[in-house]
Amino acid sequence: MTFVATSTSGFYERSLSQMETLRGSLQQLQSQIATGQRIERGSDDPVGAARLRSLSRVERLNNVEQENAARLGQDIGAAAREVEGVLNLYQRVRELAVAGASDTLGEDGREAIALELEQIGEELFARSNATNFTGQPLFAGTAGAPAFVEGAGGAVIYNGNSENAAVPIALGTEIERSVTGDQLFEFDVDGTPTNAFAVTSGLAAALSPGAPDPASAAQGALAEIDAAIDTANRNQTVLGTRLAWVEVIQQSQNELSIDIEEQRSEVGDTDIAEAITRLQQTLTVLEASQSSFVRVSSLNLFNAL
Amino acid sequence: MTSSLINIGRSGAAAARASLELTAQNIANAANPDYSRRRLNQSELVGTSVSGFNYSDTLIGVRITGIDRFENETLQRQARDASSDLGRTNAELTGLRDAETALEQSNVYSGLVELEASLTLLESDPTDSALRTGALETARQLANTLNTADAGLETARTLTQSEINAGLEVVSGAATELARINAELGSAREGTAGRAALLDARDAALTDISEQLGISVSFESSGAAQVRINGSPEPILVQGSSASAVTASYGADGTAQFSVGATSFAPESGQLAGRAAALTGIAGLQDELDVIANATITRANDAQANGAALDGSGGQPFFSGTSASDIAVALSDGEGIATAPAGSPANSRDTSNLGNLLIALGGNDGPIKGTDTMLLSLSSRIAGLNTTHEGLTVIADSARATLSAQTGVNLDDEAANLVRLQQAFEANSRVIQVASDLFDTILSIR
Repeated sequence: MTFVATSTSGFYERSLSQMETLRGSLQQLQSQIATGQRIERGSDDPVGAARLRSLSRVERLNNVEQENAARLGQDIGAAAREVEGVLNLYQRVRELAVAGASDTLGEDGREAIALELEQIGEELFARSNATNFTGQPLFAGTAGAPAFVEGAGGAVIYNGNSENAAVPIALGTEIERSVTGDQLFEFDVDGTPTNAFAVTSGLAAALSPGAPDPASAAQGALAEIDAAIDTANRNQTVLGTRLAWVEVIQQSQNELSIDIEEQRSEVGDTDIAEAITRLQQTLTVLEASQSSFVRVSSLNLFNAL
Repeated sequence: MTSSLINIGRSGAAAARASLELTAQNIANAANPDYSRRRLNQSELVGTSVSGFNYSDTLIGVRITGIDRFENETLQRQARDASSDLGRTNAELTGLRDAETALEQSNVYSGLVELEASLTLLESDPTDSALRTGALETARQLANTLNTADAGLETARTLTQSEINAGLEVVSGAATELARINAELGSAREGTAGRAALLDARDAALTDISEQLGISVSFESSGAAQVRINGSPEPILVQGSSASAVTASYGADGTAQFSVGATSFAPESGQLAGRAAALTGIAGLQDELDVIANATITRANDAQANGAALDGSGGQPFFSGTSASDIAVALSDGEGIATAPAGSPANSRDTSNLGNLLIALGGNDGPIKGTDTMLLSLSSRIAGLNTTHEGLTVIADSARATLSAQTGVNLDDEAANLVRLQQAFEANSRVIQVASDLFDTILSIR
């Protein structure tokens, strides 16, 4: 058996490096507790760090998509309110048409109805050019211009396009922000294309003083008004369905946020209880090795001489 | 007869005294890392005269034949090789950690994700000038981030190169010293304290060199060392009294090329080899970073070219430059971001072109994925080196401990020696005393 004695400097060197190692792990534990982060740099846990990176990306994009969903909800809500207003106007136009179709009404009464219809026409025009909170037209499709303009001879014509801008608010989910003006205000009556403005102004003209046979003209306009109401109703349903869809997606976005937070905490956060226990353990070992170092190093034959 | 006894006692006392001095020397050098412990070499001194068939022995005492220096070539070689291997891993680790810090602290990844996020936000309302400005400023931030990461890698490279130059100074100093020691060893006598000191200095110089460069050493009978650098090929660093200079030159990409004289070589181990490996790693990272920057530039500019700005005009390039060092935002304001496809009218809210840009940036072959892959492979490599480093530290520590157990000073041993030698000295004095008493006894016979 060979017995290898340690040299004195070897003993000091080894004790020193052991205590340095302990001190190093103490520092690491301490910074894990202080920052709450288990991974200080990527090389501490490459796979964990990569997961944290992709989680942070998903989280950031989810936040933006939540913002987009909120804006989209506002836009669809605004459009739905305008359609609601338009429907109320149509109802009033229908009432007025029914009243105008009555033979009992005198010329003065018809003129009053015609004046009211002109007012309604203006309000309809204003509503068709409604904007969202940032001042963009609601019913112009992807075009930026006003949705409807007055053309030659006072006829209102559609100025937007028939492409609906869609907003992506989740992976693979794009929802159209509104309906286009031609979808909402233009329709066919007996195969002839017309629009709500023409119907309203036509009715107003038919009931104005001097127009021939106002009662039957008003009677004839009822079918056109019903077509306008049908079209607006359809669009209101579409917008309501979209709004519900946005809410479902917002719900799942909120759940995703919580899920991401949990996963991130699982991968990257310090387990405080474990870290403190290990800190205490390491401290105890360091203290023990320090005091045993002092004792062993004072155990020197020279002290006995 | 009596005078012989006195001589024996005197020689013993002298030997004990010399041993005591050597013990004191050992104790004094207990903390000197280059010192090998010494021992006095002694031999018995006898004279035998033959006259006819009669032998007559004369005992003369003890003779000091020289100073023994504890050494162990195998253990020394093991300790040197272990420290070369450790030095290589250590230096490579340091260089790559610098690069990791540069890349992680500059936040290239989150910069790209921020750009993706701000462009996604722009999809919600492409005509909002606040969102457009936000997206443009995020892009500017990303360009800065890439510039910073590139500069950080450059700093890591410069630092590593200056460490290589400092390491070469150490090698050249130690090699010159070794050549001088080789020359002196030729004239130093065996067993002298001077020779032992020269051998200490020789081993210290070899240790210094082996930390920087892995070496294989062969010794001549005089103790002179011939040093070859481990690598391909294996150039001679020190032979006899001549030392060759090791130089390094750096390529355009920052990688190092070492040569001795006109012979270029690739070192196998030692800190210089590790730093050269780190430089190669940093050059690779810089290439990857440039690829990422270039992908960002070309993909954004391609998308711009296929789109229309807010005023309906054709999209202008988003970024200028071709690499991480010169990437900059080229658009003057956010209205230039081409969200709508080419040919769209002014103020169009069509975001299909913006959608294409987002797919180009965020797709599986895009710069975001590329950055993630680069960071993952770098940190995996560093984690692997960390593990290797821990193992090599244990090996190097135990090699050094074994060597120092063989050649280092143990104070307990020396304390025991002190007691033993003091007793030996006193015993020898007693011998002289006894001889003197004997002589007096004979003289007092009357």
